[in-house]
Amino acid sequence: MDHPDYNYSVFVPDENEFIDFAVKSPKVTMRAPSFPLEDLETGDTLEMRELWKKDVTVIEFGSFT
Amino acid sequence: MEGLADRYADRAVRSVFIYTREAHPGENYHHHQSMDDKRHNARAFKAHSKIKRQILLDDLEGSAHHAYGLPPNMTWIIGRGGFIHYKSSWTAAADVEDALEKIIHFQDNRIKEQLVPFYSERSAWSVRDREQFMQGLERAGPQAVEDYKRMLKKGSAGKPPPPDTPRQVPGNFYKPKDDEPVSG
Repeated sequence: MDHPDYNYSVFVPDENEFIDFAVKSPKVTMRAPSFPLEDLETGDTLEMRELWKKDVTVIEFGSFT
Repeated sequence: MEGLADRYADRAVRSVFIYTREAHPGENYHHHQSMDDKRHNARAFKAHSKIKRQILLDDLEGSAHHAYGLPPNMTWIIGRGGFIHYKSSWTAAADVEDALEKIIHFQDNRIKEQLVPFYSERSAWSVRDREQFMQGLERAGPQAVEDYKRMLKKGSAGKPPPPDTPRQVPGNFYKPKDDEPVSG
């Protein structure tokens, strides 16, 4: 999915999102995947695996809308 | 979730917010066409919600969001070293805290108590706050409100879901039979 499809301009519900979450996304007891993310405050790039190197990490995904 | 982050910060728990695509884009906070769009909306979100947790931006393609599943407001808890302890298709602070207490106990006592982790699934509950949800849509702009109304018309012949039908919340896979009474 390229970014115009991912960043839709009009909300259309997609039930497959939740089915894919249950079936395709990593299961509990698996190893968490890591991706580079940008810190909003500093602009620095941070690898997700750095988050859980020392701490238990609670990750909430979301947006303003 | 902010209160939870504060309460557990001194118990070796880090809490972050990963900013994804806009779930309900509107005229005021439109879809992202660039990382600058994403930064702009994330800063507006931070200012409005007074969130103190670290905000991390996924890339424009949503690479992390795709890998973890695409629900708009999910929460995961990852143990030290990367072990996935908890995943939830919606964020409910009480449910997250319940899981977090058990995870901390497990991590602190696994050797002493000979604890062995295993795979498990269960359902969870959140409190529906339709008023707050509609305020969010209105903040995004008229288009976001209209998109949502169109979804309701398509999904239930023009009627919003009755208040006692938790199974209609996206992410609930229960398919009732036609003559089955409504229940959770």
